Amino acid sequence: MAVSISEQVRDLLKEKMNRQLLYYLDICARCGICKDACHIYRATGRVEHVPSYRAEVLRRVYNKYLAPLGRLRRDYGEVTEEDLQKMYEAAFTCTGCRRCMVYCPFGIDITWLISMEKAVLSSFGRVPEELSMLADAAVEKGKSIELYREIMAEQIKSYEPELRARTGMPEASIPIGEKGARVLYVALAGIHSILPAAIIFNLAGEDWTLSMFEAANYGYFSGETSKAAEIAKRIVDEAEALGVKEVVITECGHAFRVMKYLAGGWLKRDLPFRVRSIFQPFAEYLRDGRLKVHTQITEPVTYHDPCQLGRNGGVYEEPREIIKTICTDFREMTPNREKNWCCGGGGGLVAQTDLENYRAETGRLKAEQIKATGAKTVATPCENCRLQLALLNERYDLGVTITAVTDMLVEAVAVPAAKGETAEEISR
Amino acid sequence: MSEHNVDLELDLRGLACPLPVVKASKSIKDVPVGSVMKVVATDPGALADFPAWAKTSGNEILDIERNGSEINIFIKRMK
Amino acid sequence: MDALSYLITGPMVYLSVGVLVFGMIYRIFRWLSVPASPIRLGIFPKTQGVSRTATVVRDTFLFPQVAEVNRRMWLMTVLFHFALLGVFVGHLRLLGRFPGILEAKMSESAHLAGGTMGVILLIGTLYFLFRRFKSPQKELSLPEDYFLLFLLFAIILLGDHLRLFGHIPFEVYREYAYGLLSFRPALPPALMDSPQKIVFVWHVFFANLLFVYLPFSKLVHFAGAVATNGIRRG
Ligand code: HEM
Ligand code: SF4
Ligand code: SF4
Repeated sequence: MAVSISEQVRDLLKEKMNRQLLYYLDICARCGICKDACHIYRATGRVEHVPSYRAEVLRRVYNKYLAPLGRLRRDYGEVTEEDLQKMYEAAFTCTGCRRCMVYCPFGIDITWLISMEKAVLSSFGRVPEELSMLADAAVEKGKSIELYREIMAEQIKSYEPELRARTGMPEASIPIGEKGARVLYVALAGIHSILPAAIIFNLAGEDWTLSMFEAANYGYFSGETSKAAEIAKRIVDEAEALGVKEVVITECGHAFRVMKYLAGGWLKRDLPFRVRSIFQPFAEYLRDGRLKVHTQITEPVTYHDPCQLGRNGGVYEEPREIIKTICTDFREMTPNREKNWCCGGGGGLVAQTDLENYRAETGRLKAEQIKATGAKTVATPCENCRLQLALLNERYDLGVTITAVTDMLVEAVAVPAAKGETAEEISR
Repeated sequence: MSEHNVDLELDLRGLACPLPVVKASKSIKDVPVGSVMKVVATDPGALADFPAWAKTSGNEILDIERNGSEINIFIKRMK
Repeated sequence: MDALSYLITGPMVYLSVGVLVFGMIYRIFRWLSVPASPIRLGIFPKTQGVSRTATVVRDTFLFPQVAEVNRRMWLMTVLFHFALLGVFVGHLRLLGRFPGILEAKMSESAHLAGGTMGVILLIGTLYFLFRRFKSPQKELSLPEDYFLLFLLFAIILLGDHLRLFGHIPFEVYREYAYGLLSFRPALPPALMDSPQKIVFVWHVFFANLLFVYLPFSKLVHFAGAVATNGIRRG
């Protein structure tokens, strides 16, 4: 006899059950307080955007099949194809910011429930095509990377003239995959994520090497944990092979969190190196005088805490320290740090091209927050956030410049760029 | 210069993560099967990313040209 | 004594308290028997030791964050639960005397304090109930939510009536409770012959239903709240 959808979901839920999940399923009071904490619900007012409602279908299956006395309750219907669709929309339109978790009186982690929904959906093959495709390509790249080492190293050399000009150091270089370096720097796909950091590392005299891989992990967004682990493993393997002491993750929210807090658990071992966000060494260089600030920014600057780096990653102070050193007029957003509003771009939403209008709508609170600071520049260390903020900038006429913190730091400490020689502006 | 008959040219220079591969896989659907899309990128990682993507998406890389810091990739849509 | 009153105030009480106790033990055991995921994803900033414990306790019993985003709901929830605690402590007097002058003080203030808390509970329950008739709480609610609130409403309404209009000396209830404890349940004559008897019997009846249902409902949150708040800060 064919197994019904409900039963399939039930079996998976049973197999993947853990204590946290059980608590969350059992004790949510369905009070709805979390709705007031979610930027999405606050912007749309739609029921399906109430955080705890995003787990509705999952909860229904749990209550019907697994909760004590569940079978006595006649009010929980079977899971239909439509319900799967509903679950899909719930799971893949949440940014995973976990602001709701800060405010829920029980501290229920909606994203923990959503991860389970994503696991269910992926077992039915329902994963956003774009996220899944990015994850597959990343896994594939890991398999054949040796073929590309030479050619990538050679390609990167084409940026060395610019690097040398901006550092004023004739010997400045971008080592890639070099054994014995102290630091492995993991950038994102794009020279805009490599060159500025290379300038700083060279100026500070760091013993570093560039990773062959990009830090982003789309398996994490698609909820395909086995792919996510595979993607993270490429970097772990590389770091181990090179024998580095420290892996430094570029300006990116989820990549830092994945490497620092998740990868070890997925791979079931302790990582033999320290993981830090790029800001931690950079702030140290400034503190230790290894970087000299020659130009300060006088225009008002504000800082957006990416959810994955701040609330979920614990890096709040170092980027602020850097900004305060190089800017004279720093303005906090209110609220900030763990209570900061999500920009609306996380959770892989910016990679799902059909969600652009949704993102523009649900970024409203962020846009208002930025406006209220009166800042001319918004610095934020996550490329997903920057893409989203660029969209908000355009849709809400904010008239601000959106920048990475490293780019600002480069302007403050490096040799000023000759015209036409800057790394390209990041664009959408 | 490359000898390929290019049906669509895609400028991915300076795009933020993860747009290069997302845009490429969206755009390849706009050219008929069997025709060629040219991608212009500046990201050194693209040298490895595109072959990996082509392999998993079942398309074919015909050629990769490097021209200073610019990379031209010729992709044939296979399905 | 008529059979129904006897069944409700005697055997049914034993049964439902038994279900409550063993049900809760089962629920807690069930939580602890599932392995916890080793991945710890608390919210930052994280603290350690005493200050973490203090944060967890504060979050669990006062959840100040809620006041920032929904002041009314925060006020109602805090008032409701503290009144619940007060009423619970008040009911403990049934089971024995509090030490020293505490007993006299409690006895003195029982009418006012108990009455006030009873009214707060009633208002709270109605507030929780009515907000569930509105979107988005409406869609979020399960039948269980209404059922629980209805039960509470019934218990509280009848309890308030006994407290405020019943005029039966507390000793009479205590006599009944002592009878229960010594496994000779009976309604004392002063209650038996009072017109309040029927109110009392129904108060106990609904309380019994709540006891039976509680371990199978979301109200198990009272046992899990500290743990989940701990996970958030861990
Ligand atoms: C450690 C003890 C407890 C804590 C920390 C706690 C906390 C909470 C919280 C945070 C809520 C959600 C907010 C709300 O809906 O008002 C809630 C709801 C509720 N609690 Fe408790 N609670 C505790 C004990 C109890 C007990 C023993 C009862 C027994 C009757 C109870 C009855 C309720 C009810 C009925 C609701 C839901 C109100 C609604 O449906 O909207 N609570 N509790
Ligand atoms: S997740 Fe928390 S805030 Fe949201 S409905 Fe459940 S208990 Fe209330
Ligand atoms: S994680 Fe963020 S986006 Fe998702 S439901 Fe919670 S508050 Fe909303």
